[in-house]
Amino acid sequence: MQISEQLVRQVVQEVLASMGQAEPAKASAPEAPAQPVSGLTLTELGPAQPGTKADEVVIGLAPAFGLYQTKTILGIPHAVVLREMIAGIEEEGLRARVIRVRHTSDVAFVAHTAAKLSGSGIGIGIQSRGTTVIHQKDLDPLSNLELFPQCPLLKPETYRAIGRNAARYAKGGSPNPVPTENDQMARPKYQAVAAVLHIKETEHVDRNAKPVELAVSFK
Amino acid sequence: MMQENLIEEIVREVLKSLQNNQASAPACKAQSESKTSLDPARDYPLATKRPELVKTPTGKSLSDITLEAVLKGEITPQDVRITPETLEMQAEIAEKVGRHQFARNLRRAAELTHIPDQRILEIYRALRPYRSTKEELLAIADELEQKYGARMNATLVREAAEVYERRGRLRSA
Amino acid sequence: MKRSKRFEVLENRPVHQDGFVHEWAEVGLVAMNGPNDPKPSIKIENGRVVEMDGKPRSEFDMIDQFIADHAINLELAEKVAAMDSRELAKMIVDVNVPRSEIVKLTTAMTPAKICEVVGHMNVVEMMMALQKMRARKTPDIQCHVTSLTDNPVQIAADAAEAALRGFNEMETTVGIVRYAPFNAMALLIGSQTGRGGVLTQCALEEATELQLGMKGFTAYAETISVYGTENVFVDGDDTPWSKAFLASAYASRGLKMRFTSGTGSEVQMGYAEGKSMLYLEARCVYITKGAGVQGLQNGSISCIGVPGAVPGGIRAVLAENLITTMLDLEVASGNDQTFSHSDIRRTARTMMQFLPGTDFIFSGYSAVPNYDNMFAGSNFDAEDYDDYLVLQRDLMVDGGLRPVSEEEVIAIRNKAARALQAVFKELGLPPITDEEVEAATYAHGSKDMPPRNVVEDLKAAEELFKGPATGLDIVKALAKNGFEDVANNVLGMLKQRVSGDYLHTSSIIDKNFVVKSAVNDPNDYAGPGTGYRISPERWEEIKNIPWAMRPDQIG
Repeated sequence: MQISEQLVRQVVQEVLASMGQAEPAKASAPEAPAQPVSGLTLTELGPAQPGTKADEVVIGLAPAFGLYQTKTILGIPHAVVLREMIAGIEEEGLRARVIRVRHTSDVAFVAHTAAKLSGSGIGIGIQSRGTTVIHQKDLDPLSNLELFPQCPLLKPETYRAIGRNAARYAKGGSPNPVPTENDQMARPKYQAVAAVLHIKETEHVDRNAKPVELAVSFK
Repeated sequence: MMQENLIEEIVREVLKSLQNNQASAPACKAQSESKTSLDPARDYPLATKRPELVKTPTGKSLSDITLEAVLKGEITPQDVRITPETLEMQAEIAEKVGRHQFARNLRRAAELTHIPDQRILEIYRALRPYRSTKEELLAIADELEQKYGARMNATLVREAAEVYERRGRLRSA
Repeated sequence: MKRSKRFEVLENRPVHQDGFVHEWAEVGLVAMNGPNDPKPSIKIENGRVVEMDGKPRSEFDMIDQFIADHAINLELAEKVAAMDSRELAKMIVDVNVPRSEIVKLTTAMTPAKICEVVGHMNVVEMMMALQKMRARKTPDIQCHVTSLTDNPVQIAADAAEAALRGFNEMETTVGIVRYAPFNAMALLIGSQTGRGGVLTQCALEEATELQLGMKGFTAYAETISVYGTENVFVDGDDTPWSKAFLASAYASRGLKMRFTSGTGSEVQMGYAEGKSMLYLEARCVYITKGAGVQGLQNGSISCIGVPGAVPGGIRAVLAENLITTMLDLEVASGNDQTFSHSDIRRTARTMMQFLPGTDFIFSGYSAVPNYDNMFAGSNFDAEDYDDYLVLQRDLMVDGGLRPVSEEEVIAIRNKAARALQAVFKELGLPPITDEEVEAATYAHGSKDMPPRNVVEDLKAAEELFKGPATGLDIVKALAKNGFEDVANNVLGMLKQRVSGDYLHTSSIIDKNFVVKSAVNDPNDYAGPGTGYRISPERWEEIKNIPWAMRPDQIG
């Protein structure tokens, strides 16, 4: 799957559009499931099983990803995020398996859950707002292989690179880490909005729910 | 006056360390008895005011730890560690300036000095949420008490086991 | 609508880049005095707390139980609970009531009570209280030394310069976790090149941080996070009991440590249980007290954007620093994270701690340019050094820094880089070239450094971490290569863990390796002319910024 110029334009437009209307999220009760994310269908297949194949990377989605929320804090549609990540994994000749983690919205634990279910031991965790972690099953949950804590800096190409690196770890490599931007002014601009998005994600946590296997299809 | 105190102090320290070496439950014997006569205003910091009281686990003095000795290979990692006796003295100072919780922490620390680094890390990990069953935590408490004489830490771990059970933070077996 | 030119100008001001949100009290997006905060109460039966802040013991969560059983001085608890909170607030601000008397009362309060008491104060009263209640008489300052590329040579040089500039405590962290042993070692060597006695740490996941300390690569630890609700605590992968054990583990190795918390973390992590940020933070301060830890880093820290976005948030941040001192703990009072696009706002935020003074006004002034700050930027950075020196001089306030000359900075950076080069060579780590030493000597940030082979570095760093090398090997490597003075300083830091003097509340270590803490430098502020006063020598230092003109040379 190649990234076309048209797609890039479309993403940039969507990002710009959403930044223009950067209304602080309004206080409200937990919202109903959003309209299905355009271009993304996530079908639940039952409880997620531990993988046996060493050539897979498991992507763990936080509870609201692509379901109650549809885009990252930058306005990148979840469909684009997931497509890029999967493309990055496939570029390295590996397979992506997608699960939804429901018992926690904490990105480290989402990623660690994915890693523990992954045949290669490598997992990626992602929250609706876009925060992402690459994890390995033998590490402590709050440790990680690579952490991308500043969701307002993560662009479609970053997600692709994250997928690629996760696959490289899965193959036993030690890739150069994905270059991270370090915009120290993202905090004052976005932190409170990010907190509101996270609260809205956390409202969908079910402490007792087990991870669910998902079938992903893009339109 | 100072001299007399000093001598008394040293004798007490030597006796205490002898006792500790013999007893099977070492470390924090000192906690309830042994109100030595440290005066925070006069004796703190120990390294400068009462260096004669401070010993390494191998019995060396602070003044023995020199660059020369390091280069000659006479100083090992074991020499740059704190002893339960020193922690007890610091706990006494803490108590005398009214910091009781801090003093208790130093006394729990005194009990842990004999436990190897790796085991300390393992016990810490076992205390993290969802890592252990109640039985596993209780076994750790017994080990702390029986193998290392770490009574205060054993109490802490038992308390954790109770709370984790009540709040559903144990590992489901 | 036709746009007003005035409004267009205002919208383009930096403060409009900051995010502001309205309160949402039901989920805890409220700074202090939240509508759902509990009312203070305590009931004790047979020496055991059976009710606290309106909750019976049977309903205690983990945190309630830990606080009730370990943190509160029960002797006076019922008496203090019955006292009027406004009267207590007045006593705290009153210069005629000594700190030692206040501490007896404040350590007997419940979390809801202490919030109610500080809730009666405005920010000026809180500053007056902070000036009196901080544990150590002498105020101080900590810095961050990090690198966007985790470049160890740059870290060593920046640490040396920061020591020269007056920072007595330094913290590093990593972009990539596996770099940790290199960063910790570079910070240790660099700081001890600048001045013997500087305390250093490397912020990491809890267990890893302890391991580095055990190896002798760091002198203390700070990033031991605690949280005010049980769910967030567990998401932080700990409990008050595991953290209390960890605290003792550090002390058992003779290592100083403090906990970390801050307003906004619970709401940021989605589990504030509808309580205000300050109430939840007060619970963190009590957990710290109950664990027997000597001090706490707070002041919102990495969550500052959250209280910063709601009304009264910066007042709440000052209040949490104050509560920490009221429980007789060391406070490293934040100011360590980017907070605002507006220079006016970020300065005002820092004045709350700078003017009264705290144990560490900043728990992370960025000693590197903010683009290199791997804590995602600090409120003040290396580019603000001269502004900060002028603030000290304008107001005759000791903020902990001193003017330095370019010559001495260049010399010390070079020495630190060479010292690290020697240690890398001696320990068989990937070589540091002369070109790198030269670059670090004159660098402002990582953009001025040649790139290193990251993959090779990471491999070596992992081996170093797993291998047997300790601080003593660093001492040997330095001495063998002509850096006896630095070797002696590193050894001096290792010796601290034998005597344990610096385990005490609010410790710092002077250049002669003598510990100064709340035990031998207790805050005795009792109004004008008492407490910490700038000495004539220190005032000379603060006054003499090199770029001020001499009247005799004008005209």
